[in-house]
Amino acid sequence: MRFSEVELGDDLPETHPDISMDKVRLFVKAAYMDFPRFTDHEFAKSEGLPGAIVPGVMSQGFLAAMIHQWAPGAKIRKLDTVFRTTMVVDTSATCRGAVTDLDEDNRLVEVDLTMLNHEGVTSVIGTATVELAD
Amino acid sequence: MILDLHTHSVRSDDGRAKVDNYCQWIRKKELPLDGFVLTEHRQYDDTSDYRDLEDQYGLLILKASEVETDYGHVLVFGVNEELTHAFDFARVDNHIGDVLAAARRCGAVAAPCHPGRPNVGLFAHFERKGPIDGVDLVEIYNGGSRPGEDEMSEAEADRFGYRGFGGSDSHIVSRIGYAATEFDDPIRSIDDLVSALQAGRCRARTFR
Repeated sequence: MRFSEVELGDDLPETHPDISMDKVRLFVKAAYMDFPRFTDHEFAKSEGLPGAIVPGVMSQGFLAAMIHQWAPGAKIRKLDTVFRTTMVVDTSATCRGAVTDLDEDNRLVEVDLTMLNHEGVTSVIGTATVELAD
Repeated sequence: MILDLHTHSVRSDDGRAKVDNYCQWIRKKELPLDGFVLTEHRQYDDTSDYRDLEDQYGLLILKASEVETDYGHVLVFGVNEELTHAFDFARVDNHIGDVLAAARRCGAVAAPCHPGRPNVGLFAHFERKGPIDGVDLVEIYNGGSRPGEDEMSEAEADRFGYRGFGGSDSHIVSRIGYAATEFDDPIRSIDDLVSALQAGRCRARTFR
C-alpha cells in the first residue's frame, strides 16, 4: 500500500486474530508476563474477571498486525489505545481500522482502530499514525 | 436538522479525535449531520474557537459538558459562567440533584446519558437507590451502547415519561454520527439548542 493509493475514509481489511488459550500462553511466555489472569480461567474468575483476559499489549500487537497486513513495510510512528472492556481468552475478536486523516507532506496516515469482542462490543479503541511509501 | 449531541475530542482524557478530522469525516462520508456538540469529560472548554471549521465545512460545532454524578453521567447543554461556579465539573461524585437544579437555575439543560448502561447509567442507579425527581430528558440512543442498552433506555424512559435524544458518544473520528438528534427547527446556537431540548422539539435517531 502506497500513500498515493490511500483515501480518507478507506477501511482497512478487518482481521480476526486468534485469541485461543494456546496462542495467549505462547505470547505471555515470550513477553515475560506469564500471569494466571491471562492463562487460567478459574483464577481470573476468582479475581472478578469474566475469564482469563487477553493482555492489552497483545491486543495492541493484533492492531499493529492489521496495519501491516494492509500496508506491508509501513512504519507505525504511533499507536495509542484506550482499553474499554476486557477481551476474554478462547472467544473471538475482530480488528477494524479506518483512515481518518492524510498528511501529504510527510506521507503520514492517521488510522482509527477498534477491536471488538465476540459480542460485538468495542473492547479497544485507538489511533495510529502510519508512514507509507510514496 | 440533525445534530450529534454527544462527542468527545482529544480534550477528553480518553478522546482520540481531532475536531477538524470529525468535520472532514462527516463530509467525506456524507453523513446526515448538520453539526455536533463536543461534550468533554468533567470540564467545560471555554477557550477553543471552532468558527473557522464551521465556515470551512458548513457545520455547526457547539460545546457542552459530560459530568459525573452519584446517578451516573450527565450531559449539560448551555453551560455559562454562573453554572461553572455552581458545582465542580471535575468531581466524579456530584449529587445529581445539585446538577439538575443548578442547570435549571442557570438556564441550561442537564440530561443523563447512556442511562441503560450498567454502573454509569441512570436506570442502574434507580434499581439500587430508587428514582429521583427533576429528570425529564435522557439519551435513549448512544452510539457506544452494548446490545440491549438502548432498548432498556428507551423502555425505561417511556415508563418514567422522559423525552429522549441521541448522541454517538464518539471518542474516535469514525464513530461520529452513530446516533444523533433530529430537530424540528433550525439550530444556530447553543441557546437555540437549549430551547429546543427544553421544548421537546426533537427526537432521537440511530444510524448504527
